[in-house]
Order: sequence, then C-alpha cells, then structure tokens
Amino acid sequence: MLSWSSTESGSPADISVIADGEGDAGVPHGAELVAFTEAVAGVDDAVLVVARAALVACAGETFMIDAAAVVANFEMMTRVADGTGARFAEAGAAQRAAMADKLHINDFTSARK
Amino acid sequence: MIVRDDLAEAHRLSLAHVAAPGARLTGARRVQIAEVARDAYLAVDPSPPWVRPFGDPMLDVAYRLARHAGTITQQWYEQTISDGLHPLEFVEVVGVVISTIAPIAFARGAGLPLPTLPSPVAGESTGREAAELAPATLNWVPVAAPADQVASVVQALSSLPDEWGNLWRLAGAQYMSDRQMDDPLWNRGTLSRPQMELVAGRLSRIRECFF
Repeated sequence: MLSWSSTESGSPADISVIADGEGDAGVPHGAELVAFTEAVAGVDDAVLVVARAALVACAGETFMIDAAAVVANFEMMTRVADGTGARFAEAGAAQRAAMADKLHINDFTSARK
Repeated sequence: MIVRDDLAEAHRLSLAHVAAPGARLTGARRVQIAEVARDAYLAVDPSPPWVRPFGDPMLDVAYRLARHAGTITQQWYEQTISDGLHPLEFVEVVGVVISTIAPIAFARGAGLPLPTLPSPVAGESTGREAAELAPATLNWVPVAAPADQVASVVQALSSLPDEWGNLWRLAGAQYMSDRQMDDPLWNRGTLSRPQMELVAGRLSRIRECFF
C-alpha cells in the first residue's frame, strides 16, 4: 500500500524502511513517524514520550493524534488477521512474493502459505 | 489535546461494546477477557507465547492474541477448538480483544490517560450470529456465507455481525473506510496516504504480521 499510494502521489517511497526502520522512506516526517510507531509498539514509556514530542515538534499535535490512530488501527488489524488465519487469495501472488522478499517477511509464522 | 469527535466516539462505543452481552458471552465474561487483553498488551515483561497463563481457553486465547498474535498457527487454533472452545466463541474473543486494544493503543500513543473498562452490562448473550455460516479458504475461522467472496480480513469477523460492525466503525475512524481505501490520495488533511501506509507497514512488520 505504501508503494502504491506513494507512486500514485508522484513520489515513490523507499519501502525498505518498513523492514529495517532506517530512514524516512522519502516521505515527509517519515523518520519521526517510524520512530513514533516503533515507540508505541514498544514498552518503554520514556522512549515514547521522546518520539511523540519529536513528531509534534515537526508536524503538530493534530498530526500526531491521527498518527496514533493509524497505529491503533494496525494494532487491531494485525490481530484480526493473525487471530482468524487470514490469507491472501491466489490472485496477485507473484507480485506479493516479490514484495515479501523485499520486506524479509517470508519466514514469519503468519506467512500462511 | 483535541481528539476528533468521530474517533473519540468510536473508541467510547468500542469499550461499551466490550462490556455489553455478546453473541455467546455475557458482558461479565467479555470484560474479564478484555482485562486479560489490556494487561497482556501493556505488560513490560510478558510470559512467552507458548505459556497458557490462565488454564482457561478463552483467557489464554485473549492473552496470546493480545501479546503474541504473530505466533498463532492454525495448529494452535485447532487445538483450542478440540480443547472445547466453539469456533464462534473464538471469533468473539478475537472481537473483544481488538475492541479493547484499539482504544488503549491510541490513548497510550497519543499520551492520553488510558481508558478504563466499563462495568459489565447485565443480561444473557444475544445469540446474534450470521444467518448462515460457511467454512472459509481464506480464514481458519468460519465466516458468513458465502465464504471467500471478499478479502479475508473483511470476512474475518462476519460470523458475528456485532463484532464485525464494531471493527469497521473503528477502522473508519482510525484509518479510513473501505471505499476511501480505493483512493490512493485520500487523506484527512493531516497524514498523507503514503504517511499512513508507512505507519501501517512498519507496525505490521514489528508485529510480524505477513498480511
């Protein structure tokens, strides 16, 4: 979805940041968004305070709130997928396999094949 | 700090949904499951995924889903069913866990006070289930018939309409509706669509969610 939406918006993103967390993907405030996402997913409240403040400083409080909402959404959707054994349909399998290689996710338990 | 009205309302309704009687479980049982999910999600030093901390299938499912979702296998799911959990009870536990975690994850992320779980609403379970169920190829849980006509995450909770409805109300407020999802440029005027997808992708990678 990052690859598709960024290409459609005219600035293809570097999706390697999804796998390694390094860089900004070529997206405005990308590094701060990644740090914030990782901090919410983590357990260290002090790290989260710093990451939240950095995101607010560069993009504003309303932006940070909507970023927190997106994190919450995917804390939810990942559990829906993994709790119900969600699989992809066969259509588009080759394209997904290439993407999965780039993201180094083929060995995940959740890669239900 | 000002939270959008639709987002605050979706989270309020989600926790009220948790405390109300469900298709197969009472409000009291659902709140008990939600407490386990909340504590597992927030635990600084959680038990490893193979531990069943409660000796109670529903609570153990809630624990593993809240904390170690990426480790769940079809074999483990089938074991819980053969241990006596009905497949629709399993789906209801998934619904309660995700309805609990979303508002808590948001509040923690945004630096707001963590919401408290409401008191259980008295009453018997509602029995509201899809009129017809079908085994699915795209999910290991049963879904509303006909199966596999829509994406697996869309049909995932369709066996229990109230869980399905709460999930998609939350998704619409936290992220976007399925109709908006088709537009790669759609946004709320804050995060652009690529910024939203960067967050989504990195979080999913951290949680080891292939999907």
